[in-house]
Amino acid sequence: MKKQFLKAGIVGLLLSGFLSSTVWSQSDPTGKRRISDTYAITNATIFAGPGQQGTKGTIVFREGVILGMGANLSIPKEAQVIMGDSLFIYPGFIDGAGTMGITKPKDPERPKDFVSSNPPDEIAGITPWRSATDQFAITGNQVDDWRKTGFTLSQVLPEGGMIPGRATLMVLGNSSSVNVLVENTGIAATFSGSRSMYPATAVGVMAKFRDVYQNTSLALDHSKLFASTSGIKRPEMTPTQTAMAAVVQGQLPILFRAESDLEVRRAISLQKELGFKLILTGLENYENVIDLIKSSGTPVLIKLEIPDDKAVKNQKDEDVTEATKAQYARVKEAYEKALKQASLLEKAGIPFGFSTADTKPGDAMKAIRTMIQNGLSEKAAMAALTTNPASILGISRLAGTIEKGKMANLVISTDSIFKEDAQIKHVVADGFIFDYEVKKKSSNANGKTEGGPSPITGVWEYTSETPAGSSGGEITIAKTGSEYSGTITYDDPSGAGKVSAPIKNVALNGKTLTFQFDVNAGGMSLTVDISGEINGNEMEGTMAIAQFGSFPLTAKLSSPSKKH
Amino acid sequence: MKKLNFILAALLGLGLNYTNAQTQKGSVLIKNATVLTVTKGNLENTDVLVQDGIIKQVGKNISAPSGVQTIDASGKYLMPGIIDAHSHVALDVVNEASAPIVAEVRMKDVVNPFEIGIYRALAGGVTISHAMHGSANVVGGQNATLKHRWGAKDPADIIMQDAPRTIKFALGENPTRVHGRGNNIQPRTRMGVEAVLRNGFNEALQYKKEWANYNAAKSQKGNTATPPVYNERLQTLADILDGKIIIHCHSYRADEIYMLINVAKDFGITKLVFQHTNEGFKVAPEIAEYTMGASVFADWWAYKMEVYYSTAFNAAILQRNGAITSINSDSAELIRHLYHEAAKTQRYGGLTDDEALAMITINPAKQLGIDDKVGSIEVGKQADLVIFEGHPLSSYTVPQMTFVDGVKYFDIKSDPDDQRQFVSATEMVEPIFLRTEEDHQCMQDVDAYFEAFQGAFLEEKH
Amino acid sequence: MNRILKTFCAAMLALFPVAAMAQIDGEFVKPRTGKFLLQNATVVTVTKGTLTNTSVLVENGKIAQVGANLSADGAEVIDCFGMFIYPGMIDSGTRLGLVEVSSVPETVDYAEIGSVTPNMQALTTVNPNSEAIGVTRVSGVTTVLTVPTGGLFPGTAALINLNGYTPDQMYGGFKAIVMNFPSSGRRGRFDRRSDEDVKKDAEKALKEANEIWDNAKKYLELKTAGAELQYYPEMDQLSKAVSGELPLLIVVDAASDIQNAIKWVEGKDIKVIFSGVAEGWRVADEIAKAGIPVITGPVQDLPTRQSDRYDTPYANAGKMAKAGVKVALRTDEEENVRNLPFHAAFAAAYGLGKEEALKAITINPAEIFGIADEYGSIEAGKRANLVISTGDPLETSSQIHHVFIDGYRIPMSNRHIRLYQEFLERSPGLKAN
Repeated sequence: MKKQFLKAGIVGLLLSGFLSSTVWSQSDPTGKRRISDTYAITNATIFAGPGQQGTKGTIVFREGVILGMGANLSIPKEAQVIMGDSLFIYPGFIDGAGTMGITKPKDPERPKDFVSSNPPDEIAGITPWRSATDQFAITGNQVDDWRKTGFTLSQVLPEGGMIPGRATLMVLGNSSSVNVLVENTGIAATFSGSRSMYPATAVGVMAKFRDVYQNTSLALDHSKLFASTSGIKRPEMTPTQTAMAAVVQGQLPILFRAESDLEVRRAISLQKELGFKLILTGLENYENVIDLIKSSGTPVLIKLEIPDDKAVKNQKDEDVTEATKAQYARVKEAYEKALKQASLLEKAGIPFGFSTADTKPGDAMKAIRTMIQNGLSEKAAMAALTTNPASILGISRLAGTIEKGKMANLVISTDSIFKEDAQIKHVVADGFIFDYEVKKKSSNANGKTEGGPSPITGVWEYTSETPAGSSGGEITIAKTGSEYSGTITYDDPSGAGKVSAPIKNVALNGKTLTFQFDVNAGGMSLTVDISGEINGNEMEGTMAIAQFGSFPLTAKLSSPSKKH
Repeated sequence: MKKLNFILAALLGLGLNYTNAQTQKGSVLIKNATVLTVTKGNLENTDVLVQDGIIKQVGKNISAPSGVQTIDASGKYLMPGIIDAHSHVALDVVNEASAPIVAEVRMKDVVNPFEIGIYRALAGGVTISHAMHGSANVVGGQNATLKHRWGAKDPADIIMQDAPRTIKFALGENPTRVHGRGNNIQPRTRMGVEAVLRNGFNEALQYKKEWANYNAAKSQKGNTATPPVYNERLQTLADILDGKIIIHCHSYRADEIYMLINVAKDFGITKLVFQHTNEGFKVAPEIAEYTMGASVFADWWAYKMEVYYSTAFNAAILQRNGAITSINSDSAELIRHLYHEAAKTQRYGGLTDDEALAMITINPAKQLGIDDKVGSIEVGKQADLVIFEGHPLSSYTVPQMTFVDGVKYFDIKSDPDDQRQFVSATEMVEPIFLRTEEDHQCMQDVDAYFEAFQGAFLEEKH
Repeated sequence: MNRILKTFCAAMLALFPVAAMAQIDGEFVKPRTGKFLLQNATVVTVTKGTLTNTSVLVENGKIAQVGANLSADGAEVIDCFGMFIYPGMIDSGTRLGLVEVSSVPETVDYAEIGSVTPNMQALTTVNPNSEAIGVTRVSGVTTVLTVPTGGLFPGTAALINLNGYTPDQMYGGFKAIVMNFPSSGRRGRFDRRSDEDVKKDAEKALKEANEIWDNAKKYLELKTAGAELQYYPEMDQLSKAVSGELPLLIVVDAASDIQNAIKWVEGKDIKVIFSGVAEGWRVADEIAKAGIPVITGPVQDLPTRQSDRYDTPYANAGKMAKAGVKVALRTDEEENVRNLPFHAAFAAAYGLGKEEALKAITINPAEIFGIADEYGSIEAGKRANLVISTGDPLETSSQIHHVFIDGYRIPMSNRHIRLYQEFLERSPGLKAN
């Protein structure tokens, strides 16, 4: 275990170039080491837990632990003081199931005698021994973005196939710390088959899951017999069985990703049949199964997302037939129902948390606000972000509320957190302070910042890093009216040199530029999502290709267009 | 001990049955219909009383108990709910195509009660369908027998819980194409298909023995026997050998049908139904003698080599040779007019009304092992019923109402257009599917399986 | 007829199905022509009402006379008492003769490579000995339009009669250039394009279609002006649609595509027939207003949208006919064209009515194809394409006893029937060896 702790931290350690002056006999020539790990945030409005009234007071914490809070708290001399006047403090948010900072490991090479009807576990996506810790890096944009949204803890899940591996509870603190809070908090599972081999589909996955489970159970019986009796054949536990043993023994939950009501039923039916501990993650459509969730007592981590409103917004009133109107009404009804789902969980008395996996940090608060507008109480929303996941993950002693002795994980905002105008000014994670720029609201909103939009029109030269190697090309962006358009050149997947494609859905939100383009690869049309942060005439971001993952991309505005 | 129970439960093949599904049962009195009982002749101007989902009385001048709705069916025909012995409607996955034997796979795991095809089948009078695994494997998955209780949200509510287990087998072109030609493993030929079957059953016998030995030794003092590997695939094959599961085998050519009859004989298997069976007519005497019959298309042929030497008179020849014969759909389209498909046996072979109707009612019920519960209008049976305007075997007939367990799920007089149970919140325009490929589903999901590394076999179906 | 009586008749006939269906006795019977008197039948003329106790005289491939008490002089008399005579049925959209076994690519001849291939001739490719032809014609379907598929202009469709040994013997006197109108529908569940992309692709395809059409127009102009043009078979053929020499058979299904197709046709001085038209019922008034005749089907098909009523494909033809559209039916089939009468029956039951349904597979297509002087009804002077059955041929219980095509008496046999004869009582039966 220790080794894995180190791995997670090691990147950060190397980057910071600083371990401990006493060991290395080094001072800190970067000048960035913090002067004190004691902080006081004074005179803020503190909301210690969901549903609690805000009280004016000061919070003091040291080495990541809250020392106290209250109106007349004496502030230690070594404390760095943050003036909290007019600020609102909430417990740090907890992500019940996320993939932030996770890089999917490369597929292992197929053995020479590979048979698709009976592939080795590792190739078939059955890798319960893998740990999210090994796949996690705190240094990427993703963790920054989620922290900026208020998240201070995340149960990160490894990426993979039907049983990707073990989850790790990470604190989203400083990159130079070891950030593993609890290793091996559960084993992630999905209904995704491996398509080109057994099990290829959800129905095969369910059968294979039973097989893995039952044989782990038998292997344990065998081991027990071996331990107590002589003359017994040596047990041969496979890595899969060794890793699954804790599940069979009831020590670890399965974190089943179940997006639809039918998947929820399937996961619960497997659970009922086999008897493991179950936590459901990533729920999207669950209105039909709220009673079942309630009666089975299964903890749920719903997807921190609401359906996009494009379909609803694009409904036109004029010029459509009655039949079309009826269809529109059903889409609208479905949309509105989807928004109400979270509130129905609250009504049913189900203490749910959120999963951030496959969602966008930039849309998270909007999603929560929309849920609140649709009947979810602010108290329940806050509980879903804090105390509920803490309880589901078994860390209520450490996190979820602002209390003496708990982790110094805080969200500090300029206003009541669920208000549209509220902005997060600081996040405290693991006792480290992260400051964020607070933008003054300009009168013409639309995501425009004070400095006006970044100039993005012109020709960009970009490079992207994919497993296939480094490649690049040009992105040309032009603006007509308020719309952006343009083209991108890229290496033809068939190896026929550079090809050009139009870019679409170009949007600039603050400093974030996003757009898409379509690539035709072997008859399949793939949509590529580009998203980047613009700094001056440079852009740093990612290129995401559905199903294949997301890869780093950098670009430089080589010839900006003249003032438009 | 708990663990042991789980294993036992799994070995006994208990799947999703944990839910005590609360299915709706209805009461209704249908008056003055021409009742086509299928097994007890035709009764003019007759009433049928249903209480709590069961047919309680068939006769004249029955009066409705209080609270029971009366439906006047004067001038109309009442027949048993139609049973489709071969369908893939209401399944999220059809083919786990990745291995020649996938007996461990359970279609009950992936039943989708929201699929519009269920309603469309009801509108064609179909109350029960046999939701089958596809035909990519020599031994496919275990099927689910569904009752079309439209509107149910829980898959367990549309699974006919009191139906026996059945399993899909497939011979001929599909498994040899997928595994032999596609993956370069056996079977590539019909010889290989037989070998895979015999290998599988022999391994199952060994498996059964290993477990019997282990279970016997386990409780002995000083036991040193260790548990064998658990293998639901072999366990399921062993269950077939023990007569616990009815085989429904996708097959076309006479030679392969005859082969399976012999394999079954060698392994003492008697619960065997052939599906499609286009060349069944050539071995009709053998099918009649040794099996539970054949479930066939009314007139499909020539879409691939193994159905080129077919005849639309297949069902009639099988029937005249004494084989239990049913007409099935294997299609979300055909399932909507099985009454018409059955009627084609009158064009091609001149079967009587009762013979033709039996092919979509009592005969498929026999093949699914549910003929004691459904498939005819008899007192004590489950009240799955359809009312037709016009004789159901007329080309011009129109189904009017369909009941499952006495509950009306389709009524042409109150049939709102949009019957979708699930609407996407994000789909801008509802997709339009033209001459949809979803129609024939036996090889569904195989495409996706191959597209990942092969890209072949995209056109071929059934 | 009383249902029970009918069933009884069917059952009686079933006792002698072989005798009823084929006059063979181990010998091969050829189609043969001559002078035939079909005596004392109920003649469903389609255009001139239903005539009881009427005879039809067939001579020189034509219907020579229809009437009571016709002289049998020199004619082979076929006693049709208690039977019905119908005109041969016409399926207005099939791939019959262009494919033998659809999963065997070597036998599939309806889709050529390339998007603009109007010069591909279905007629040349028809295999007169296709098993499916023999299987089809004994059902009473005597004439079919056989249609190439594939790209934008996949080829030239041809009307064929289901008897003969060369394409020329089979040719039914009608050809049309096929156009697959750019579609905004999805091609199947694997088609995962976004809504916008589907729309854009359709727009792009239509733009391309216009460019090609304009090209053909220019080709025609220059050629008419006497220019010596380079060999360009595609344009040579397509220009025949531009000039109106050949009709354009536009295959179009989705409602919005139908509307676009109507617009596209406007202002073009061409002959147009719509085919497919699965969502015609949504825009029936517009089609009627445009005056474009429609070939629709298959009737036994799934609705195009999940939200559609289950019976929309059954009801489609009826709704269009009610709106004033001239409707013919197609099966869009290959080996199962024999189901045409049953498709018509479903359309009849779900709103088209029996009379109109029968017209949709007889006189309507004849009129749409401009060959009503020869096809589509039982009138003296028309081709002798006739069906003699025990009842309404749209009913499955009816047995077809005789079929005449071009005055040829068709042997009532095919592989399906021969297999029936061989295997009904197999010999040896059930025994070892």
